[in-house]
Formats: sequence, C-alpha cells, structure tokens
Amino acid sequence: MSSIEQANREDPQSAPKGSPAGDPAVLTSALSKRYGQRLAVDRIDIELPAGVVCGFVGPNGAGKTTTIQMLLGLVRPTSGTAWVLGQPTSDPASYLPRVGALVESPAFYPTLTGRRNLEVLTRLGRLNSGRVEEVLRLVELIDRADDLVRAYSLGMKQRLGVAAALLPEPELVILDEPANGLDPAGIREIRRLLRSLADRGVTVFVSSHLLAEIEAICDHVVMIHQGRIVFQGSMENLLAAQHSDLIAVPEHGHDLDRLAALAAREGKMARVDGEAVRVQAPGDWAAEFNRQAMAAGITLRGLQSTRASLEEAFFAVTEHDGAEREEDAS
Amino acid sequence: MIGAFTSELVKLRRRGVLLWGLGGGLLFTVLATVFTIERAVNTLAPGFHGHGFRVTIAELSRPDGLVHGVVDVSNLVGIVALALFAGATATEFSHGTLRNLLIRQPRRAQLLSGKFLALALFIGLAVVLAIAVASGLAFALAPGKGITTSAWTSSSGLNDLGQAILHVYLACVGYGIFGTALAVLLRSPGVAIALGVAWVLPIEAIITGAIWSGGNRWLPGELLSALAHGGNSSSSYAHALVTLAVYAVLLSAGTLFLFQRRDA
Repeated sequence: MSSIEQANREDPQSAPKGSPAGDPAVLTSALSKRYGQRLAVDRIDIELPAGVVCGFVGPNGAGKTTTIQMLLGLVRPTSGTAWVLGQPTSDPASYLPRVGALVESPAFYPTLTGRRNLEVLTRLGRLNSGRVEEVLRLVELIDRADDLVRAYSLGMKQRLGVAAALLPEPELVILDEPANGLDPAGIREIRRLLRSLADRGVTVFVSSHLLAEIEAICDHVVMIHQGRIVFQGSMENLLAAQHSDLIAVPEHGHDLDRLAALAAREGKMARVDGEAVRVQAPGDWAAEFNRQAMAAGITLRGLQSTRASLEEAFFAVTEHDGAEREEDAS
Repeated sequence: MIGAFTSELVKLRRRGVLLWGLGGGLLFTVLATVFTIERAVNTLAPGFHGHGFRVTIAELSRPDGLVHGVVDVSNLVGIVALALFAGATATEFSHGTLRNLLIRQPRRAQLLSGKFLALALFIGLAVVLAIAVASGLAFALAPGKGITTSAWTSSSGLNDLGQAILHVYLACVGYGIFGTALAVLLRSPGVAIALGVAWVLPIEAIITGAIWSGGNRWLPGELLSALAHGGNSSSSYAHALVTLAVYAVLLSAGTLFLFQRRDA
C-alpha cells in the first residue's frame, strides 16, 4: 500500500461524529453536478469536522466553486445529498442564517458605498445593524467605508466580501478564493483573520489554488481533482505521508558521488543535485547519515531535512489518482 | 419579505436609479403637459377629432383637462417602469449580486416579492411626483392660453386627478410585472429592457395593425394603455383590469417558479 493510499484510508472518512468537535460542519454523500455533457462534480463524499480551518484545494475548473454553490443552496445537485451544520442543503433557510460566505469574485453594487452594500445584506438578513461597523473595522475598511465600491481596488472588494461573509456572526464561514487580488500584506491579514475565527470556534472552509497559503493557514484539507475528491484529512497526516528529503552538502565537490553511493548502500534513493546530494529519507536518519559520512572520511558542511510541501503532496496525490483512473479505464 | 423590501429601498437610493426612475417619468409628463397646453387651439380643423397633444381650450378647461397630457404619455411612463423593474432585477443576475442576496435570504419567493414591492412603492412615488409637478406646471401655463382652471379644482376635477394617478400607477405595476418576468427569464438587463420595449411598442402595433385586429382587446401592451386611460375605444376599463389581472397572476406564478428552480 502506498503512503498516499494509507493517508487516504487513515484520515478522511473516519472523522468526527461523536468527536469532541461534534457533528461534521459539512457532510456530503455522492454529491454530483452535471452541466450538459460535463460532469463538474462527481459523487463526492466530504466530511468536514466542526471547528477546523479546512482548505479546499484543486486546480481551476476542478469543481471547487460548484461544490461550494451546492453547499450554499445556490446550485441544485444533479444527484446525491449534502448537509451543512446538520441541515439538508435542500432547505438552505434552515442553516444559512448561521453561515457566512463569499462565492467567486466579490459582487457588489458599484454605485453604492461599501457601508451601504453591507447595509443591503444586513437588512435582508434582518441582522444587527451594528455589525456593519464591526466587520468594516475587522477587515480594515472603515476609513474607506463611505467611498463608492466602484472606486475600490480588487483587494478592497475582496475584503468587503469577507466582511459581508462575517456579518451574521457565522458558525461556518465558506470562502471561495479569498486571497484573489490581495497583496502580500492583505493575504497575511486574511490569514490572521481566518486563524482568529478558528480560535473562536468558527469552522472555516476556504477554497484556493494558492497551495502555499492553504498550507500556512489550514489544519485540514480536502483535495478535488477533475470533480473527484482525491484526499481529505488532516494536513499533518497528508504531509507526513509524503516522502521527505535529506539534503547533504559535502565540504569538497569531488565527494558528491561517494556520498550518494554511501546512501544508496543503505537502500536509500539518492541523487546528486548541484552541489548537494538529495536522499529520500526521513529526517531522523540525518544523524546516522552524518556518522557514516564521517566514517567514510567525508566532511559535511550542510545537512538539512526537508518536508514535502502541500504542492508536492497535491501533485503526488493527483498523479496517483490519474494512474488509478487510467487503470479503471483500461 | 420585510427584509427584502427594506434592503431594496437602500439600493433604490442610488443616483442612477433616482435619475432614471424619478426623472424619466417626470420628463415625459412635464413635456406632455407643456405641449398639450401650448398647442391647445380654440377650434380644431374640420374632420379632426383631436388626439395626442392637439386638443381644444374648451376640452382642457373641463375637470379632466388637468391630466390630459399626462394620461396621453402614460405608455412612456409605463416603459420607464418596465425598464426600472427589468433593470433592477436582471442586474442582480448579471452583476452576480444575486448570490449574496440568496445567501442572506434563501427563501427566493420572499426575496423576489419583497424586491417587487419596494420597486412598486418607488414607481408609485415617481407617478405621484410626476403628476404633481406636471399639474403645478399646468396651473402656471393655463392662464396664458386662456384655459380656465376652476373645473380642475372642483370635486369632479379632483376625482379625475385621483383616478388618473391610480390608473397610471396600476398600468406601471403591470409594466413592472412584465419587466420582472423578462428579467428573470433573460437575466440580462439590456436584453430584457430591449425586448420589453420592442414588444410593447412596435411588435404589438404590427400585430394589431397587420395580423390580428382584435389584438387590441387582448394584447398586454394595448390593455395597459386602456387601463392607464381608464378605458378606451377598444377595451373598457373593467375588461382591461380583469384581463390584466389574469395575465398578472399567470406571469407572476411563472416568474416565481422559474426564479425558484434556476441555479443562481
């Protein structure tokens, strides 16, 4: 069994009922959406524990937005069922008052001010009007709140979208690509905001194709590829299941080949990569490798362990999924 | 529905909506009043029975003379209403704001109904404002053309004024239902308004003129015109009102069904 298969089997479907976090915030069963001949979402089963910050990752067109739209009752599934906060998505009025969401690019009335745009939503949802001021402060738009939205930059619109999502003091926040158009400071601000929501017990489900961002803020991850879920579970377990590398740099370049051969003798995959030898091995083998190099008369001037990134994990998982599909097809 | 109603009122405060919604109706009624009074004559040429802005001073001195010009342009005021309802509704689709609205108010029938009621209130204010300004202007211009205004302020005159406001308003609501239906069906403000205006003006005229002469008793644009005039030579007021009520129920049901079933 590959490490990916193992991670898939250990984590994902086992989660939350009866766990301290309580019932899942989102649960789907064989949820599908077809647009004409194109199957946008293909029988997905998601179980999202309450209280986590969950990244929903996949390339553009993978089915992230369609899935989110089905969870919010905006799009009718072709088949399958889904529950949000314990309520069926066929009855969105039963759970949406407890959900905040930003779907696709932020859409507002350009000739209304930021404040008035939020007032439209506050009145519509019969929410506390004082929340407008609070959320504007939270996303640091209070100074520009009385400007027309048409004068906002994309990043400001994105922050206004996040503010709109936070209006109802939600238990679950669903954000679709919230970092789009944000500068690095804005991205850091969103990251801080999402963590603070999680600290308050809010479940966050955030989609993005910026995998580094997801890795930085999420403790749970759902991966979607060509409409199918290819992994779901804790970020930690996903990354732990990936290969890690040791990068060893000998003092003298002529020792590179000897160093690689040394690792290979121990049954490790090793290759020369520039001025270093890259060895596929867990981090705790570093000390042993250092000792053996020393015994062979090779002095190392650098030795570090690298963990697989979410991006590497994503490509490993999707390659594995692609191979499985090819097998199925043949 | 109250939330949808009050949130729509916030959107109606936009400068563009105020300009086109209030200003459009006002422009037509003021121009019609000025033209009607300025072009009034003592006697019409033999064989000319008078229509449009060509009327006699004696006719304008009657109790209903005050609103003569306003009623004549009620179709144009109705088209302003159609554009307002279609634009306000279809823009939610084309701008993507409908998704935000549905997240805060997932009961779609309540959302659309609240929005419609707010627009209906707005167009009501626009009709009252337009007729009030046009009436004020009529009182100012009438003496210069020798038109006596004493009948306008009689109880009969005030009754005619009230009825004109009611009839034009009901017609505007009818145009609004038509505009909302087109908006939900087509989801594009430009296409919905263009098709609505094209139907009410040239298409119905072509149908009644060249294909179906009885169409002026059954086609919605013709009936809305009859309603605004309090009945005309083709349709009585009662016939227009009842037929349009049936159309309104069917069209509203179809619109709500479509709005509830479609993906946002």
